[in-house]
Amino acid sequence: MSLFSNLSVSGSGIGAAQAWLDTIAGNIANMNDVTPTSEATYGEQAPVLVPSATPGQIGDGVTVAAVVQGDTTGVIASDPSSPLADAQGDVRVPDIQLGAQMVDLIQAQTDYQANTSAFADAKTAYQSALTLGK
Amino acid sequence: MDGIVSVLQFATDGVSQQQQATANNLANSETPGYTAQDVSFEASLQQAIDASAGGTATLTVSPDPSAPASDGNNVQTSTQLVDGQEETLHYQTDVEMLNAQFRLISGAAGGSFS
Repeated sequence: MSLFSNLSVSGSGIGAAQAWLDTIAGNIANMNDVTPTSEATYGEQAPVLVPSATPGQIGDGVTVAAVVQGDTTGVIASDPSSPLADAQGDVRVPDIQLGAQMVDLIQAQTDYQANTSAFADAKTAYQSALTLGK
Repeated sequence: MDGIVSVLQFATDGVSQQQQATANNLANSETPGYTAQDVSFEASLQQAIDASAGGTATLTVSPDPSAPASDGNNVQTSTQLVDGQEETLHYQTDVEMLNAQFRLISGAAGGSFS
């Protein structure tokens, strides 16, 4: 437990929200990827969040344990004009729904803001502690 | 528990721990299976103050009893944000009262009361 530890707890939350935002950005950027049907395609990414805590004590924030890639099977789409199309005119595209990504994006953003708010609270409290005895 | 300074010192520390729990709950608001933590000390501190022979106050960390969502997480972001603001004001109040107490001591010791 370090001095001003409440700040690092919120900092870990901000980091986790940022990691989530990054994966969402990656997912949206790769939404329109095209691969031949013989190859795997881009799989939706998501961070794995785990609490960093010692049992029986107040938690120490959150840790991004890993970033996992989802199903790389994607979906088969017909696109005969693509140079990557197979003999049937089919290509493989990622199975990423923009709507679902946008919902996640809003959630991740709210998460980020909530942690920023807690960070500001901790800062205000610590600053008032520094006035002790003045 | 003797003296107002030690009571305020315990309360300030307790509120700081509550603030850490709130920050931790918010940091884990998207962690699957996470159960929010509650920190309480007020009742215990009150008992210690009331005890004529002088008691010992303790700080208790307990799991939040509210029902979890489908991913097993029971953090209510809105409640935690309100708690965070409340705890900050509480902390500032405690610090203010400690400062008032220090001013009295300093005045009584021949220094300035302001």
